[in-house]
Amino acid sequence: MKTIQYFLTLLCVCLLTSSCQDTFLDLTPLSNATADNFKTRDDFELAVNGAYASLYTVYHPEGPVSYANEQMSDNAIMFNISGIQADKWQFKDYSLATANTMVYQFWQESYKAIFNANIVLDKIEGASLDAAYKDGVKAQMQFLRGLYYFNMVQLWGDLPIVTTPLTGEASYAVLRSPQSAVYDQIKKDLLFAAEKLPLATAITVPGRASKGAAQTLLGKVYLTLGDKAAAATVLKEVYNSNQYSLLANYTDLWGPSVKNTKESIFEIQYLGGNASAPFSRFYQTFYPNNNFLGFYGGGMNQVTDDLYNEYETGDPRRDASIALGYNNAGTFIAQKYPIKWTDTKATQVGGNPLSNNNFMVLRYADALLLLSEATGDPLYLNLVRTRAKLPKFGEATYPTAKYPTLDLAIEHERRTELAIEFQRWFDLKRTNRAVPVLTAKGKAITATKLLWPIPQIVRTQNPAITQNPGY
Amino acid sequence: MSSTPTSRRSWRASVIFTLFCFSFVQGFAQTKSLTITGKVTDENGKPLPGVSVLIKSATSGTISNQDGAYSLSANDNSTLVFSSISYETQEIPVSNRSVIDVSMLPSNKTLNEVVVVGYGTQSKRAITGAVASVGFNEFKDRSFSNVTQSLAGKIAGVNITQSQGAPGVSPIIRIRGVSSITAGTTPLFVVDGVPLENFNLNLINPQDIESVDVLKDASSAAIYGSRGANGVVLITTKLGKAGKTNISAGYEYGTQSVIRKVPMMDAQQWIGYYIDAHNNAWVDLNPAVNKASDPNSARPSTYRIPDDFITNPQQFGKGTDWQDVMFRVAPSHNAQLSVSGGTEKTQFLFSGSFLDQQAVLDENYYKRLALRTNIKHAVSDKFSLGLNLSATTVFDRTEGTQGKSDVVSLAIQSDPIFPVYNENGNLGYRDPNSVWSKYVAYNDLNLWHPYSLTRFYHKQNKSFNTLATAFAEYFITDDLKFRTSISGNLFNTRLNSYRVKNQGYGYSGLLPAEGNVQSSYMLNWLSENTLTYDKRFGDHSLNVLAGYSVQKQRDEFATVTSGSFPNDLVETLNAGVVTSGSSTATEWSMISYLGRAQYNFQNKYFLTAAIRRDGSSRFGRDTRWGYFPSVSAGWLISDESFMQNVKFVNSLKVRASYGIAGNNQIPNYGAISLLSATNYVSGAALASGLTISNISNTNLKWERTGQMNIGVDLRVLNDRIGLSAEYYNSVTRDMLLNVPVPDISGFSSQLTNIGRMRNRGIELNINSKNTTGKVIWTTDLNVSRNRNTVLQLGPTNAPIIYTDFVVAVKTEVGQPISNFYGYVVDGVFKNQAAVDAAPHYSSTKPGDPIIRDVNGDGKITPDDRTSLGNFQPDFTAGLTNTVSYKGFDFSFLLQGTYGGEIVNQNFRYLGFWNNGRNMFASVDNRWRSEADPGDGKHFRATLGLTGLQDQFHSLWVEDASFTRLKNIRLSYTLPSSLTRKTPFRVARVYINADNVYLWSKYTNYDPENTTYGASNYAGGSNGLNASGNAPNGAFIGVDYGSYPIPRVVTVGLKVDL
Repeated sequence: MKTIQYFLTLLCVCLLTSSCQDTFLDLTPLSNATADNFKTRDDFELAVNGAYASLYTVYHPEGPVSYANEQMSDNAIMFNISGIQADKWQFKDYSLATANTMVYQFWQESYKAIFNANIVLDKIEGASLDAAYKDGVKAQMQFLRGLYYFNMVQLWGDLPIVTTPLTGEASYAVLRSPQSAVYDQIKKDLLFAAEKLPLATAITVPGRASKGAAQTLLGKVYLTLGDKAAAATVLKEVYNSNQYSLLANYTDLWGPSVKNTKESIFEIQYLGGNASAPFSRFYQTFYPNNNFLGFYGGGMNQVTDDLYNEYETGDPRRDASIALGYNNAGTFIAQKYPIKWTDTKATQVGGNPLSNNNFMVLRYADALLLLSEATGDPLYLNLVRTRAKLPKFGEATYPTAKYPTLDLAIEHERRTELAIEFQRWFDLKRTNRAVPVLTAKGKAITATKLLWPIPQIVRTQNPAITQNPGY
Repeated sequence: MSSTPTSRRSWRASVIFTLFCFSFVQGFAQTKSLTITGKVTDENGKPLPGVSVLIKSATSGTISNQDGAYSLSANDNSTLVFSSISYETQEIPVSNRSVIDVSMLPSNKTLNEVVVVGYGTQSKRAITGAVASVGFNEFKDRSFSNVTQSLAGKIAGVNITQSQGAPGVSPIIRIRGVSSITAGTTPLFVVDGVPLENFNLNLINPQDIESVDVLKDASSAAIYGSRGANGVVLITTKLGKAGKTNISAGYEYGTQSVIRKVPMMDAQQWIGYYIDAHNNAWVDLNPAVNKASDPNSARPSTYRIPDDFITNPQQFGKGTDWQDVMFRVAPSHNAQLSVSGGTEKTQFLFSGSFLDQQAVLDENYYKRLALRTNIKHAVSDKFSLGLNLSATTVFDRTEGTQGKSDVVSLAIQSDPIFPVYNENGNLGYRDPNSVWSKYVAYNDLNLWHPYSLTRFYHKQNKSFNTLATAFAEYFITDDLKFRTSISGNLFNTRLNSYRVKNQGYGYSGLLPAEGNVQSSYMLNWLSENTLTYDKRFGDHSLNVLAGYSVQKQRDEFATVTSGSFPNDLVETLNAGVVTSGSSTATEWSMISYLGRAQYNFQNKYFLTAAIRRDGSSRFGRDTRWGYFPSVSAGWLISDESFMQNVKFVNSLKVRASYGIAGNNQIPNYGAISLLSATNYVSGAALASGLTISNISNTNLKWERTGQMNIGVDLRVLNDRIGLSAEYYNSVTRDMLLNVPVPDISGFSSQLTNIGRMRNRGIELNINSKNTTGKVIWTTDLNVSRNRNTVLQLGPTNAPIIYTDFVVAVKTEVGQPISNFYGYVVDGVFKNQAAVDAAPHYSSTKPGDPIIRDVNGDGKITPDDRTSLGNFQPDFTAGLTNTVSYKGFDFSFLLQGTYGGEIVNQNFRYLGFWNNGRNMFASVDNRWRSEADPGDGKHFRATLGLTGLQDQFHSLWVEDASFTRLKNIRLSYTLPSSLTRKTPFRVARVYINADNVYLWSKYTNYDPENTTYGASNYAGGSNGLNASGNAPNGAFIGVDYGSYPIPRVVTVGLKVDL
């Protein structure tokens, strides 16, 4: 009785004081951290990793860069035809509706990625940490932001430029800025990143952005803007930095355990084998839409005959990149699909192989080809061809009849070297070749289809946002 | 919050409560008593048995025996209260007498029935709000495991729909419309005084329930403050009465069967569709070159047709009806035993019941063991203690309720050409050794054999629930009572599942074996302290309640998955390799103060005022406290002298009330900006990362619903006809709304208090005793109508559109919430000339749907979408007829809702080509050519969807109106001349049938089906739909493949010893 008495008195009295009530009602989440936790270096490391993780959505095998570059080019189609995929088919048909749910999803994910970089940039300003560390974090975030905006401006053209975390209300006032302004922001971010980021060899955490990554990306941006001289300068710095080299064999580049090689300039990191870790989904998504390996193939980016036939005879890269078909309970089904990210030994959970393969956003072969494009010098192109054990551009055995100019040679080389690495459509756009090349292959593309529509829902929410021509 | 005023308030309150505690602890003063005897008679002087004789302000008492005699011990200065149903209650002071004889006067029965309101009871006479009360007799023979299922169609304004027909699935309850868009809309359940959010009433055996009372209006619900806005359902369990111990036993046997199937294509019809779809798509690809007669060798694999389909389709016959494979006639057994009784000092009830119910779905079942003990003991005249303890165990396997890719849906989608078993005894064509495996080459043939999910996927869910309430009551004075209680609700579940390797080759893929264990834990505790002052001063009666309560809940969830099982011999996770695991935990807490005063003058003018102050952990620091006041009044006009000459009116009462109640059903940490794990990788190691998953809103506060209610109760013609009518108007303010914000902020929405919504309606209840005498025939009719209108939304009143698997719902100002939003289809284009003559989508071909150019701009664009209906009905009605003759009781209940719509989301799979799934049988009446245009409603077959047939449009939306013969009951009580020779006091046999027949035009199983229930944030769930992009509640009335509601027929026997 005494104990009960004591307990009741305690309960009655304690819970009636305001401080005790506050303690009782102030429940902090048990399974989530809260946004107040941005103070120490450890806090920022977590946030920086979170910002890098946005790469998973942007470069998702079914993400915006994949759809644009492979589905909208002549490289790939989807082979999981069905009614519910109608929104996906609109990419390859160039019939994107403003109500397309995928385009809206990509818009949301893009700005989410921007936010995840912006929040770090915003919070680190006020943090009491040493200046060098802060600069390093800022440079990485600005690299990511530059990369994200560069993809977005190529997809949508004019964009709302957001560089700080916005409240819901404030975001109504941010309208689309012209492409030139978006590119100015991208250059600003990448120049800062190129200045502050360490060289690749000085990077201790695999996967973090390096000076070379910022410079290579900047080179691509300059080329896209038509500034070949600036592109040549910055890409030469990468070439002369002695940080990167081509691997001996093209096949060395691929495999579940091939990670962060000398050829890799910027690479998205995956970890297979565990459902709760960020495992790689390229293998599964690009596997034909059939279930006989014990998992659901996604049927995405199935290789066209046109791409398969682009390879020169004897080019080892063809068979390193593309499989002719698959074995289905003893029957061979002919359907070409990409195999660069194959991981046959991946653990499976819930019908998903948890693959380990990384994805290279920028690699040295890409930089070399860009350098030839910027300088007009086939030297760099021929380094790539030599690795593929193919005759050099300019040599007698080079298929000059088919690719008479250096520009065409680079176009051909980029398509085969970088097949299904999410480069093709942006390459064609950059070189103003998209309409002629794709039209010649019977595709119903027009100049206005080179940009995606602004999603309907974005304009319903904020009618002041304009639409791209043709939609 | 500035601390000064709170501290002051708290200080005062502390003093008062410390005093309570003190007085409670203080004492047990003994008093002297004497034995009183007497006889109770009716108005004619006949002995009256069964009259309750209680000592006022105490808990002891007795009842009069067969001769009307009674005997009890009481203090010389106490007052005896004589009460019996149908008689006026009398209070007689003992005044030192030892013999007290009493003559009872008949009363107006209905007015004196006791109704449970929050934190107390009231006579029906004194009710000033809108409260509906349903007693045990109304549901005693019904076959449902959840008592609220038995109330469907019985209470005006309370819409109870059975969203899924699987045993153990709780119905969706909406009281007076839907008051929120984002927050939950489930009413608060209060079990024996314990408020339990989102409680599963299947855990309470209906046979243990004395009454269910529903607080419908805000003035009644306001005593539950921040949780009352959706109405309150009060469950009161039984307690024995002083007197002879009553032993009651019962057994019932039932069968369940599916009475409506979805008409699907047979093998021949489906093969015809398959061929047409492939040929049409092939020709469309290049109409100048391709011909329907081209052989497979000329076509890419997508357009190929199995040779057997062309050369010998007859070999498939009608094929397999997968609904017949999956459903069965399922038996159920239900056994009950209860023992109740007691003495003046101690009353008790012990009960146990076991329900063993097979489900109509293959391998599914529901077993429940429910045990209860309720005890109340009077230590002295002033002090009593009690304990209600219930322990319930449920073992079940329940599937088919999630729609989309759950068993029931998949089986309907499976192609009819495949046999139940192949020649090897395996389930499917994926068996590499079967002749059927040749179809593997066709990607668009589908089989999700029901057995592959029910027999080759082993699952069992085990739930354990303990609900305990211990209370003590102490009369500080005769009029002032202190009550304190501690309650605990402990709920644990464990779900074990094991997927057998390759699933008998019956599933769409050959998947490796996988095992999973999920467990959840919930502990909710409540401490409640109330002080009640009840006193009569001449013509004035006053009842004042003050209370204080503290409640907290913690939820935990854990899951572990294993793969790489060497074989299927051992199914526990140790046999495999653990591949993933996770656990989470969440909490909420609440502190409440409540006060209420009920006053009446001459028992004919009634006034009630109440207020509750709630503080909740779920809301912003600065806004977490809220006040919820209410006031109500009633006037019993018929007791006025000027009414005494109006003989045909037995009673007439008018009521009016206004109250404000709140809604707190949002995520536990809805106000806080949370960081969620977004990991990256560094080399071969995980690099932990965090990103912000929502925008914080520290000003988040309660959603508040203010409701005005006016009611009138009339009984006329010797009490033969009763009529109750209610009008209410409620406005919800500061709606908890996930307001869409521009995505460039990095987020799509922010939980904000914004917007207003109105619900107003009328409810009518008529009951009539059509005949009296030997044959008693009564009729009850209730009709209700609710109009829901959104008055204001986000800052710009921009409409909110949510989309889930193509179906879009739009909420806009001036309309009810969640209008179905899509294109209107006006038939099928007959020929190319018709296509050319009308606005059409660019790729449209003859045979494609005619989409209406709603805005008349000559183009078909997303702007042509419009409202296609709403799930909320125009009105609902229920009609009960009961006829009694001698020992026979017969009743039937008709129930209906009229004027609502339902989305048949299965149209997405079964209404047009969707990757080779089976189709609705009606699609056979499709357009085949200009000369064979079909019924003008069904499009041509094609793989390529050229004319927006896959968009959400009017053909997906159907009329949800229905009339249901909900229940028929017949029972026979054996005459006492027979039972006298047996040990049984009462013996009764009965037959009960539920969901007997349905009149509805709906083409899926049942117009009550909805895959999306009310938004539910319990146990840390996020309240979102499966795709995570919208609150679940926004999609009520969307049926994405549901579990049919079976007809249940039970026969039973009940005996009392």
